[in-house]
Amino acid sequence: MNHALIIGQYVPSNSVIHRLDPRTKIAIIFFFVIFVFFANTLTSYAVLTLFAVGTAVATKIKLPYILKGLTPVWFLIVFTFVLHLVVTKEGEVLFRILSYPIYSGAVEQGIAISLRFFLLILVTSLLTLTTTPIEITDAIETLLNPLKKIKFPVHELALMMSISLRFIPTLMQETEKISKAQASRGVDFRTGPMKDRIQAIVPLLVPLFVSAFKRAEELAMAMEARGYQGGEGRTKLRELRIEKIDILAFITFGIVLIGLFLTRA
Amino acid sequence: MQSSKLLKLIIFALLGTISMVLMFLNFPLPFLPPYLKIDFSEVPALIAALLFTPIAGVIVEAIKNSLYLIYTGAGDPVGVVANFLAGSLFVVPVAIFYHKLKGVKSLLSGLITGTIVMAVGMSVLNYLVILPAYSWLMGLEEMAIPSVKWASVIAGILPFNLLKGIIVSALFIPLFAKLRPWLEKKRITFTS
Repeated sequence: MNHALIIGQYVPSNSVIHRLDPRTKIAIIFFFVIFVFFANTLTSYAVLTLFAVGTAVATKIKLPYILKGLTPVWFLIVFTFVLHLVVTKEGEVLFRILSYPIYSGAVEQGIAISLRFFLLILVTSLLTLTTTPIEITDAIETLLNPLKKIKFPVHELALMMSISLRFIPTLMQETEKISKAQASRGVDFRTGPMKDRIQAIVPLLVPLFVSAFKRAEELAMAMEARGYQGGEGRTKLRELRIEKIDILAFITFGIVLIGLFLTRA
Repeated sequence: MQSSKLLKLIIFALLGTISMVLMFLNFPLPFLPPYLKIDFSEVPALIAALLFTPIAGVIVEAIKNSLYLIYTGAGDPVGVVANFLAGSLFVVPVAIFYHKLKGVKSLLSGLITGTIVMAVGMSVLNYLVILPAYSWLMGLEEMAIPSVKWASVIAGILPFNLLKGIIVSALFIPLFAKLRPWLEKKRITFTS
């Protein structure tokens, strides 16, 4: 099975971006995603691109890793660009491909929208590249804390997410183990008509569910034996703290935003 | 009772994890665009919904999609939301039918209803919300023209969701037949 999935996208390192509080990263990315849509001139796009690329360089992650995170969306970016070339009919005719006219406005818009897409995905994937899934869950739990006032089960959600994250590798290995065990008994998952392939999944899922329930019962018992009693008054192993670098990150981002608003039309 | 509440949370979490793992074993269908893919990630949500309540199925769907988002990065957030909506629209009617009149027959009628609710619901949502969201994201007003939206709903979304419902049901019925005695036993321990 896909090895990349077992560890997620996280690339360990000790860069400035890795050391930022996950809440800082989430907040900045949240606002970046909103403000990307405000860029409308060449220089304003340049300001945002400079920020995104600068951050990517600061993570000290090698380029292939960063580009790999973008693979699922290359198709969407290229597709958007080509669609713009075909559909948009603004400005003057630049050249013709097999007598089909390509307009200058189409090229401009195609580049602008593809770049916007690229920036969105680059910046959000920098979060998953530099932050472990557990840190992200912790940060989301603290960011959602105010919702406790309206009885939203923040703690329960965070607990479920942490347990899920913990069990992704385990259950992946188990899926692989069971599918190999069934394959050795002659079950064929890959070939044959659709109907047979669907049938072949049943003997994979039955043991998977049974063992998941067994694990759940054991984990619940173990947690209660250690005195787990819900979120009230529970302390944490990893405390999140806002440090100097977080404040610096916010100031940098503030300067970028000022730059964006000065350069946009 | 505290104990069964914690156990339930853990079961939701693990079913959500299985669901997410199954999401990666997907395959595209012939004749349909490549971004519409079939997977069996609805099955664990169905189990949760039948064992507990319809809401349990929705929670498992939510966990699956949150995990997917955190793990793969937010490349396509609209797609994740769409997957969550489709899954919930499918699971809830099945569970409501099954809890009303327990038995294999009610499961079958539930799966048929779920498939129809999901296909029609996703067609409406795509027309009104999801396709406009994509066209806005891609900066293409042309994609939000009614005739274009109609075409993609009729040629893509509607048949895809019908097929998806049928294929997932075709897997779920034999699976449920095998698991049923065991699930009934589990249900008794949870409710007691």
